[in-house]
Amino acid sequence: MKLSTFNLLNRTLSEQQLSLITRFLLGTSLILIIALSYSYNEINQELINYSEKVNQTQRVISSLNEVSSALYESTYHANTYLFLKDTAYINKTLAAAKTIPALTQKIDSLVIGNESQQKRLEALKVHVGEFSTYTEHLAKSVTLVNPAIVYALYKKKNLEVDSITKLISEMSNVEGQLMQMRMRSRDNYKLQVFRYNWIIMLVAIVFLSSAFVLLDRELKRNKFYRVDLENKIENLNRSNSELEQFAYVASHDLQEPLRKIRSFSDRLISRYQEEVSGEIFQILGKIDGSAQRMQLLINDLLSFSRIVKTGSEARLINLNASLADAKSNLSEMIIENKAVIHCESLPSVEGYGSQMVQLFQNLLSNSIKYHKKDQRPVIRITHRLVNGEIIPGVKPSHQDIQFHQIRISDNGIGFKKEFSEKIFIIFKRLHGRNEFAGTGIGLAICKRVVSNHNGYIFAESTEGEGANFYIYLPSESLLS
Amino acid sequence: MRDKSILMADDDADDRFLVQAALEDNNLSHAVLYFEDGEQLLNYLLPENNNEIPNLILLDLNMPKRDGREVLKIIRTYEKWHNIPVIIFSTSNAPDDIITAYQLGANCYITKPSSYEELKNVILSVHKFWL
Repeated sequence: MKLSTFNLLNRTLSEQQLSLITRFLLGTSLILIIALSYSYNEINQELINYSEKVNQTQRVISSLNEVSSALYESTYHANTYLFLKDTAYINKTLAAAKTIPALTQKIDSLVIGNESQQKRLEALKVHVGEFSTYTEHLAKSVTLVNPAIVYALYKKKNLEVDSITKLISEMSNVEGQLMQMRMRSRDNYKLQVFRYNWIIMLVAIVFLSSAFVLLDRELKRNKFYRVDLENKIENLNRSNSELEQFAYVASHDLQEPLRKIRSFSDRLISRYQEEVSGEIFQILGKIDGSAQRMQLLINDLLSFSRIVKTGSEARLINLNASLADAKSNLSEMIIENKAVIHCESLPSVEGYGSQMVQLFQNLLSNSIKYHKKDQRPVIRITHRLVNGEIIPGVKPSHQDIQFHQIRISDNGIGFKKEFSEKIFIIFKRLHGRNEFAGTGIGLAICKRVVSNHNGYIFAESTEGEGANFYIYLPSESLLS
Repeated sequence: MRDKSILMADDDADDRFLVQAALEDNNLSHAVLYFEDGEQLLNYLLPENNNEIPNLILLDLNMPKRDGREVLKIIRTYEKWHNIPVIIFSTSNAPDDIITAYQLGANCYITKPSSYEELKNVILSVHKFWL
């Protein structure tokens, strides 16, 4: 069920939507990955900070321990002196006591920013000062005989030691608690941040995989289309060449019996002219006429099939020259009908020369042929450059290309609007054969020539008001 | 006017008949020998048969056994036959066929006319020009 919904969703996506979605997925994944790496950098910095703070607390505790042990050492030597009366111990007491102020100085910088600890440290320093003073006095008084004084000093010193020890243990406790707190919040931070990062990573992975699935599907679909297209092109080429062969062979093989029909009925007439009655003569004439017409049709079909294959290589064709050739081929018709042809300068296009001559020739002869009985035919040929997008029914790939628009307009009898497309169909005629001669191949050939050149042709007319033919030929070569 | 000898190879009996009729209707009495394919014509020409060299050959392009192109090629290869005028007389008006025929050494290419009147005229002009 899920899968089919997914497929349905996929199938209804247009190429543009798909491209937008893929871009969105890839873009978001990229942003998430950048955010993730930035976040990891921040985490590292923060963790380093936490570690430094924990480290600082540890250093405070160890310095306090050092003070403690110096104090203990000094006290121990003083006690030993009192017991043994050996002055060497007094010196040791003094030496140990002298290291203490330096140790307290060291703590100074470590407790910056912690007021209560700073206060305790100040108190500690005062007591250490007192302790040092008493210890020095004690050292000086050992030469005195009065033990009472020595004892009093000793007692005072010990009181200071008690105070100092108390302060140290307070400070150590506070630092210990601080350390535990910092470690706890570090762990908390780690946990939070990692959870958050996991979520981002998961989203990025989901987005990336979706983009991958979509792209993969597109690639597979493209491959399918390509193979399908290749097959179709192959089929098209095959059927095209078969069609050419068919038209050629059919035209030739159909010609044979027709030629015989005409030749034999002809001979019948010429041979038995005197003996044959008028009716037979008429019938033979009809047989000949029909065969002649069929021959004309077959010949036209043959010329149409020849135009289907382009044969020669495309080259740059000056349309002015093509038009001049067409006019010279039609010179008799032009003179006979007193036709006037006005023409602007035409461009050069990539194409097939003989086909272009045929295009102009067919259009001009059409315009002359369908002129009004009471007017001499006037034909105007104009040229301008236009954008592909204005052409009706233009292929999407031609929309952004510039086209030469060549307009051929005449003052002839024109045709009804609804015939503007039908007139390009092979053997399609708008008039009876008695009115106008011809098989109806001319405009079909024009259409074929124009499409051989990747162009377009349209006709526009109102009955009785002349006709306009628009030819659009690409200004850049699209022929391979 | 002395009568000339003509060889005509065409697989189509009707065409052979029509050519003969056109000759008669033009009051021409050339001696025409008809062959149904290219091979028969070549056999006739072979030296061991001691036949006279003709004044003209009318050759259809598409025939069974040996077609007109092959026959023309062979005729133009032999010194003895080199100068016989050969007219291709074919239904085809395809540019490719016409070009090939001249390249192989045809002296003239005539597309079979579509009416008998035209045929008569063609035969008359062949007679005037080539015989």
